[in-house]
Amino acid sequence: MKKRLTNIALSASIAATYMKAKLRQTLVATAGVAFGITVFIFMVSFIQGTNEYTQDVVFQQSPHLRLYNEIQIADQSLLDRRFPGFVNLVHHQKPKDILLNLKDVNQVLDVLQADPRVQAASGAITTQVFFRLGSSSLNGKINGIDPEMEDRLFNLSGKIIDGSYEEIAVKANSILMGVGLARQLNVKTGDQILVTTEKGGNFPVIVAGIFKTGLTDIDKQQCYASIKTVQKLLAVPASYLTEIKVKLFDKEMAPEMSRQLQARYNYQGSDWKKDNASLLEGDVLRRMIVYGVAGTILLVAGFGIFNILTMMIYEKMKEIAILKATGFSDSDVRGIFLTQALVIGAAGAVMGLLFGFLISYAVSKVPFNSDVMITLDHLPVSFKPVYYVTGFTFGILTTALSGYLPSRKAAKMDPISILRG
Amino acid sequence: MNVLEVANLNKYFNEPVRNQVLNNVGFQVKAGEFVAITGKSGSGKSTLLYLLSTMDTDFEGSIEIDGEQMKGKPNRWLAAFRNRHIGFVFQFHYLLPEFTSLENVMLPARKLGAVPTGQIEQRAMDLLKLLDVDSQATKRAALLSGGQQQRVAIARALINDPLIVMGDEPTGNLDSTNSATVFGLFKELARERQQTVLVVTHDEDFARRADRRIHMADGQIVEG
Repeated sequence: MKKRLTNIALSASIAATYMKAKLRQTLVATAGVAFGITVFIFMVSFIQGTNEYTQDVVFQQSPHLRLYNEIQIADQSLLDRRFPGFVNLVHHQKPKDILLNLKDVNQVLDVLQADPRVQAASGAITTQVFFRLGSSSLNGKINGIDPEMEDRLFNLSGKIIDGSYEEIAVKANSILMGVGLARQLNVKTGDQILVTTEKGGNFPVIVAGIFKTGLTDIDKQQCYASIKTVQKLLAVPASYLTEIKVKLFDKEMAPEMSRQLQARYNYQGSDWKKDNASLLEGDVLRRMIVYGVAGTILLVAGFGIFNILTMMIYEKMKEIAILKATGFSDSDVRGIFLTQALVIGAAGAVMGLLFGFLISYAVSKVPFNSDVMITLDHLPVSFKPVYYVTGFTFGILTTALSGYLPSRKAAKMDPISILRG
Repeated sequence: MNVLEVANLNKYFNEPVRNQVLNNVGFQVKAGEFVAITGKSGSGKSTLLYLLSTMDTDFEGSIEIDGEQMKGKPNRWLAAFRNRHIGFVFQFHYLLPEFTSLENVMLPARKLGAVPTGQIEQRAMDLLKLLDVDSQATKRAALLSGGQQQRVAIARALINDPLIVMGDEPTGNLDSTNSATVFGLFKELARERQQTVLVVTHDEDFARRADRRIHMADGQIVEG
């Protein structure tokens, strides 16, 4: 064991002497690796920071899991039940006229709120309406919510830019309106506006406040009101709720929990992964681009190392032969050249991590004002340690690989053909 | 006691065509013998030496050094054996140019790792002094003259106190004064330290003054 260590130390000291003799090339190769890792760290931090930011914006607005009822076509017709085993064809079935409310919703909410995995659960009632603006009408959606719970779920009060959030809880027939919708309807806080329900009833409401989430879809269509207001609008009883929104402590548990709840209560359901599939897919694609670019740069850096070592080995053929003649084994010789590759790789990787961090840090301080992302004032950058670990591993692996081939060549070299001249 | 026993040694080159270079060679060398191997170019004398050096493993027959069979041993074992028991001097003073003379001499001993570096350095200095190149110890090897380099190379061959010192035309590139010094040194090694010296040479004078001469022709020993 000790012998092994002194062997490695000897190989390393020979490698060090060679590297000192070729200092400039060694530095250039190190810089190549450092550049690759720097770009990787910077790009992955920036892109991932952006990803996380957009996810935050979206997920603040969307619950981790939702439970609701949907109009469904029965998959078994009456004929099937009467004549099982026969081939029964029924064309163009219509759905049953069912109410979209959730059964026993208050009990379910109590159970969910007591669940230790659940951060907050809130019942809601949603309906499509038309807002009348003179002779034309605009499509919109009113969410009947429990203002206190909804605030805990989505921090809604933080998004009010005009008026008061609490007012919808206390003032009958008042709504909060999305900023885009308010602009289209040309209304301000305190204005009264007429809404038409799906069933055709007309209903005057008062705009108690304006909110802005940063998501155009929501800001241009949605309104919030108290559950009572919406129930009155639809002329339904007080237990009529169409949706349960749940926020969990660990959002990764959402798909599993959603399945369980759907089975237990016979509701339909969805989770954030399903609701935002395209967004998540985009994140994956962006991350692939980052790894692609960094991989290409590292490949070039790897070729640099490969070149230097190959040239060095051609120059040092005689010396390799002498080392072998004086008792260095093939693997000792391989060690000498592999050590050089690894030192270049490690030094380059560490420098790359450092520069990558510095650039990322600098970029995270660049002011950035966006009309869409209102909560953003600086460029979003992520500083997760896992990128740094990945970058380092990446650098070491490429250099080890590109150093291995020339080193093996040196190890396999036949000393006699060189010594005999 | 025989340090070296060679029996039924056959060696072929396969390039460009299969060609037998050693034909059933066999001989023994005792400890402390100073042997010169001579012969014309192509007689197979260098090939024989490189087989004995354990660097060439592609042969038929048997080579025993110090009672150990060399045939069929792995590269790592042979390298360690070479490091411990064989010192090699080449025709061209092959040193590692980026290292100092002293470092060149110390390298095989550091590889062996039997004694601490301080002792190795002391011993290397003694050898350089013995060969009268101690004044060049801290110079980079590339800066030395040919004769000085060859003497440093000999010091390197002796650093691990090897059983056998082998030389491939060790005086081939030296003037007569340097040549005489090297010869005298080999002679002394054999007589006083009981180290075996095995030298391939073209130099008739050198060969005549050795203890024993093995003359080769067409891959066979014709004399000795």
